[in-house]
Amino acid sequence: MMAQADQAEESGTAFLRVEHLHKTYKLGRVPVPVLHGVELSVNKGECVAILGASGSGKSTLLHLCGGLDRPDRARNGNPRPSIVFDGKDIARAGKRELDRYRSHDVGFVFQFYHLLPELTVLENVTVGAMIRYGRFGYMAKRGECNERARALLESFGLGHRLKHRSSQLSGGERQRVAIARALINDPEMLLADEPTGNLDRNTGGAILDAIFEHRERTGLTVLMVTHDEAIAERADRVVRLVDGRVEGGGSGVPSGVDRPESGIGAGQSASGAPVR
Amino acid sequence: MYQALLTRRYLTSKLMPLLAMAAVLLSVATILITWSVMGGFLNTLLNSGRTLIGDAYIAWPNVGFAHYEELSDRLEEHPRIEAAAPVIETYGMVRLPDDRVELIQVSGVDVESYTRVTGFGDTLWWKPLDKPARKDKQRRDLRVAPDNRPILQRFLDQGMAMERPDPETGLVLPAGILGIEVTGLNYRTAGGIYLPLNPTRNTPTGDFESLEMFMPRNGSISLTLLSLDSTGKPTDPVSRVMPISNEFQSGIYEVDSKTLIAPRDVIQKMLRMDEARRIDPDAAGGAFDYEVDPDTGQLRPAAPKAEIVDPARVTTLLIRGVPGSTPEEIREIAEEIYEAFATRHAGEVPDPFAIQIATWEDRNRTMIAAVKKETALVLVIFGIICFTTVFLVLAIFWSMISEKTRDIGILRALGASTAGVAWLWLRYGAAIGVVGATLGVVTGWLIVHNINGIHDWMGETFGLVIWDPRVYYFVEIPREVEPVKAAIVFTAGVMTCVLGAFIPALRSARMDPVKSLRFE
Repeated sequence: MMAQADQAEESGTAFLRVEHLHKTYKLGRVPVPVLHGVELSVNKGECVAILGASGSGKSTLLHLCGGLDRPDRARNGNPRPSIVFDGKDIARAGKRELDRYRSHDVGFVFQFYHLLPELTVLENVTVGAMIRYGRFGYMAKRGECNERARALLESFGLGHRLKHRSSQLSGGERQRVAIARALINDPEMLLADEPTGNLDRNTGGAILDAIFEHRERTGLTVLMVTHDEAIAERADRVVRLVDGRVEGGGSGVPSGVDRPESGIGAGQSASGAPVR
Repeated sequence: MYQALLTRRYLTSKLMPLLAMAAVLLSVATILITWSVMGGFLNTLLNSGRTLIGDAYIAWPNVGFAHYEELSDRLEEHPRIEAAAPVIETYGMVRLPDDRVELIQVSGVDVESYTRVTGFGDTLWWKPLDKPARKDKQRRDLRVAPDNRPILQRFLDQGMAMERPDPETGLVLPAGILGIEVTGLNYRTAGGIYLPLNPTRNTPTGDFESLEMFMPRNGSISLTLLSLDSTGKPTDPVSRVMPISNEFQSGIYEVDSKTLIAPRDVIQKMLRMDEARRIDPDAAGGAFDYEVDPDTGQLRPAAPKAEIVDPARVTTLLIRGVPGSTPEEIREIAEEIYEAFATRHAGEVPDPFAIQIATWEDRNRTMIAAVKKETALVLVIFGIICFTTVFLVLAIFWSMISEKTRDIGILRALGASTAGVAWLWLRYGAAIGVVGATLGVVTGWLIVHNINGIHDWMGETFGLVIWDPRVYYFVEIPREVEPVKAAIVFTAGVMTCVLGAFIPALRSARMDPVKSLRFE
């Protein structure tokens, strides 16, 4: 896989290519730089873990890759930032293009699930399809979308929870609903921000299993943020983010190097998620 | 699509939108009740005025105009005019049974034509009734008692004929009809009916004397009019005693307390507006001419050789249009007909440009304008109060959006556009508005429809009587809700909510999705 990444970078065919990414937030009037010229490339079907300590900028990087935020403009002679996804530079995309990108091409999974509490499990999943297809499009595809949502939820073991509200679910169940919601529109890339960060190890392992099983079936590209080395080990490749910079360049290192002996690593993967 | 789903869920799972809905409900109901009652008050007033005057009128006050019967016939020939009534309107003094002297407006009418134009017969108070008025719960109305039916029927007949037999001589005399508030001998109850009083007065011996006085039975007034000649110069005042055959209630206090309706020919004579003959001064012969009396062969003063007939005059011609006609239309027709009439009688009747031709609304413009302005003022004040609902909705939505910040971030992460998120809240506001305004209209309609019952209940339970028939001259509170008004108030209620949701919706659209997701 490492060879594939290098090859993709060299040939310029990476599925997601991030270059010269800077991001500064403002705390009041004080500018707080978070990312300093981040470079990253992800191939189609690849699972890349972004590993870093709290405050290292990994969630910011994920938000930028997901079109939720925009990078800083080029300044002080810095090259222009770009986030090229499948040939389109979303760093230069308009609002509508970004909305479309989020609803069509990527799916988000957050650490705190972020389900809509007033909706049932099934509705929480289909709401993504409602946004994607719009009023009339969704009306035409309602049955199909509901069927897909049911299938996803059943594949995650939630077939009996369709009518429940999120408040009636456990943490692990909520996160599985969130994953189903992220996958309802059959995105090209899943962006997972600490997907197991709020769960115990066993439940977290099961969540990762669910993601990797789906990836195995569909060839989904996964970009996952974590601060847990053991979780990162399950990815194809690990990119370490330290103080807003990618350690060792955008390619990262293949997983399995300096693999810890404990944690939600391959040793605990019940599903035998691929570690290449 | 997701907006519809979330709107539905937010509506049924949150307390705050219920508060917003309640605010809209109360505002809409308040405005609708106020508008309906005040509007109904105005309509009742207008209808009463129209009942008394008709649609339009032609008037030449004081002096009056001649050939009115011809003008009346020509007006009635027009297919859009139902009836016309020649009337004399003037002012006079009345001495009442208790020796009070009051200034009064006198209408000299011919009952047949006057009834066709004005519905005068319906305003006569003393007549037999089959069932009591709704508010007369104690059944005190003398008109309902079967024992009184014969005498009340006689009062009604005498009222319609404007005559009353003299109790001593049995001669039938022309009689007048007084407004029911003129004499002060009738007491208006809280149920809106009148009961005759038996007043007392001091006698020279220091005792009290009870007056057995009931105007239609034995009451008379002394009427004094100041007449004008055909050139408008005042002549001597004329007085006569006039029996009263009945009393009328129009519903307008100003009319009921200051009007006497009397036979037109009587008033014409008193005012010297009846037909008169005089010698033509230009004719051959003079005052000192003599002629031979063929019977005696003696000389005698010669009879006049030529007479001039001054036709009878009236001051006003009341006109009623056929159903469906408007007062303005009738006025225009009257103007056309009068112009042709004046051309035929040039020099005998007032010029078309000078004579007054107007609608009943024009005549009561001041009173109508006052009530309209009162209605508008009350609506504006209530409107301002209800406009605070906008700020209430705004505050509720602002709070809800703060609470739902993370949901907004989630929706944005799923690809919802800024416009889509803004529409979610606008739609939500509209939904609250529609539900609140619908309930408000229903509540308002129910209250207006049952307002008299509610009012009676409040009076009986708490002693709170707002609409006292002794003060307001309509017995019942108007209780009609016009669909157009309901639609306007409903729309305003919905718009209030949308307006209140607008700024919070903009705020939600402008939220940074990343910050929204991190919101705690």
